[in-house]
Amino acid sequence: MVFTSLNFLIFFPAVILLFYLTPSRFRWLTLLISSYFFYLNIEPVFGILTAAITISTYIFTRLIDRAEKDSKKSVLMYINVIIILLPLFFFKYFSALNDGVFTILEAYNIRWALPKITFLLPVGISYYTFMAIGYTVDVYNEEMKAEKNIGIVALFISFFPLILSGPIERATNMIPQFKSELKLNPSNFKTGLQLILWGYFMKLVVADRLAIYIDVVYGNLEYHNGNSILLASILYPIQIYGDLGGYSLIAIGVSKVLGLNVMPNFERPFFATSMAVFWRRWHISLIKWLTDYVYTPLAFTYRKYGIWGIVLALMITFVLSGIWHAATLSFLVWGFLQGIFLSIEALLNKRRSRFVKKYKLMTSTIYIFLSIFFTYILFAVSEVFIRAETIEDAILVFKKIAFERGVIFLDLTTLAYGFIGSIILFMSEFREEYFPKKLLFFKNGNVLVRFASYLFVSLLILWIGILNGGQFIYFKF
Amino acid sequence: MELTAITDNLTNVFQKTFDDTELTLSDDLTAGDVDNWDSLTHMVLIGEIEKEFNIKFKLKELNKMNTVGDLIGMIKSKVS
Repeated sequence: MVFTSLNFLIFFPAVILLFYLTPSRFRWLTLLISSYFFYLNIEPVFGILTAAITISTYIFTRLIDRAEKDSKKSVLMYINVIIILLPLFFFKYFSALNDGVFTILEAYNIRWALPKITFLLPVGISYYTFMAIGYTVDVYNEEMKAEKNIGIVALFISFFPLILSGPIERATNMIPQFKSELKLNPSNFKTGLQLILWGYFMKLVVADRLAIYIDVVYGNLEYHNGNSILLASILYPIQIYGDLGGYSLIAIGVSKVLGLNVMPNFERPFFATSMAVFWRRWHISLIKWLTDYVYTPLAFTYRKYGIWGIVLALMITFVLSGIWHAATLSFLVWGFLQGIFLSIEALLNKRRSRFVKKYKLMTSTIYIFLSIFFTYILFAVSEVFIRAETIEDAILVFKKIAFERGVIFLDLTTLAYGFIGSIILFMSEFREEYFPKKLLFFKNGNVLVRFASYLFVSLLILWIGILNGGQFIYFKF
Repeated sequence: MELTAITDNLTNVFQKTFDDTELTLSDDLTAGDVDNWDSLTHMVLIGEIEKEFNIKFKLKELNKMNTVGDLIGMIKSKVS
């Protein structure tokens, strides 16, 4: 069941109704049952996986709590992390490893052909695996006590708004909320529905519309010239943002309606003035997770090497982040690029600050605009590797952009509608970034303005949204 | 080591790391208040503090320090 499916539009009100009818101390159970219903509907066998991860995590976190010596706690923590990582490795990296071995065997002509087995990647596995690891480490670090009710742990790992694509939440935030008295209230309802509406707008009006143009160009790279490929590559980050950003808002909004506060996943990423700032605004829940559980321990270990230790930790973290998305060479290159961009920035940081101070550029519009522009371009360059899928295609993209001019391919309706959506999104974020208190629509005090805005966005979705569109891109990770 | 001495030495380390000679420390100062104090410079800062005071932090202790006041408290408990 996907947020954009008709089923979900029936499922969600049904959950709200059930939730409302349940006495408040059992509402967590309603959420748990709804979550398993939601997930089992995708593929029943996947439920075994979430249940197994829940049981292992429950047992080991309780044991960590009870252990007295730090060395024992640490061993227990590592055992659980390894256990819950095993399915992820199996499903995600098995075929990559398999293909790798076959290629080597074939090269030496010693491959014994057997039927190829492929496994369906359990959707959401990378997200709930990370959430379970985070919980285990937090209990080890004494940030929280191990939860005694296995039902609450099960709910944390399977909570339906988050299970398919995050935000990758923390037990420290979610578990106390699941245990508190859960209530429906009008103000949460309102805020939640606003987020959901805007999320649908980002996904259906912006992302899925731009996808049509980008898919046509990237689907036939040989037949398109550099200008068209350049346009598609410039638009791709906006598509991805609409896709995962929209998904995240729906997930956060659905949780909010049920009275649960989930962390934001994006904060106007395209107004970032450096890559470091960008990565604090883009896919925030993943980056925070990586910062806390991968980067910080690594940087701490290498701290005696000063800035070069940081650079090393950064590189490893982003290469891992690339491989987390998929075990392909393209994602490896993508990870390396992010690491390189951030490392160069970190090494030049002091110089840049001095330069900015010396010429008083802090408030210079041109300087801010150029910084935003270059940050966007750097990100768009890295995303070429992801959209092109293979390294050969990515190289073809850069070659064509550099050398092949021609008449730009214009699919006018698609581009016109895509631009309408993108410009509305851009203006809304521009307002929020620089004038957060002014020109309010969804948050306007006047009820007429609010309802006119809801109506306008809803009509836009119905008028130019792609209502029979595809999957969310991040489900495959 | 006296508290004032710790604060003075720490101020030097901060000024050097963040390249800001006018930076002054207060107990409630946090990373959000200082330009460029992010997860990258933070670990450089920690490394420099360890060198300056000849102490070693544990990773768990880092997670528990939220303000400069916490940091000073932690240094004091380690040097004396």
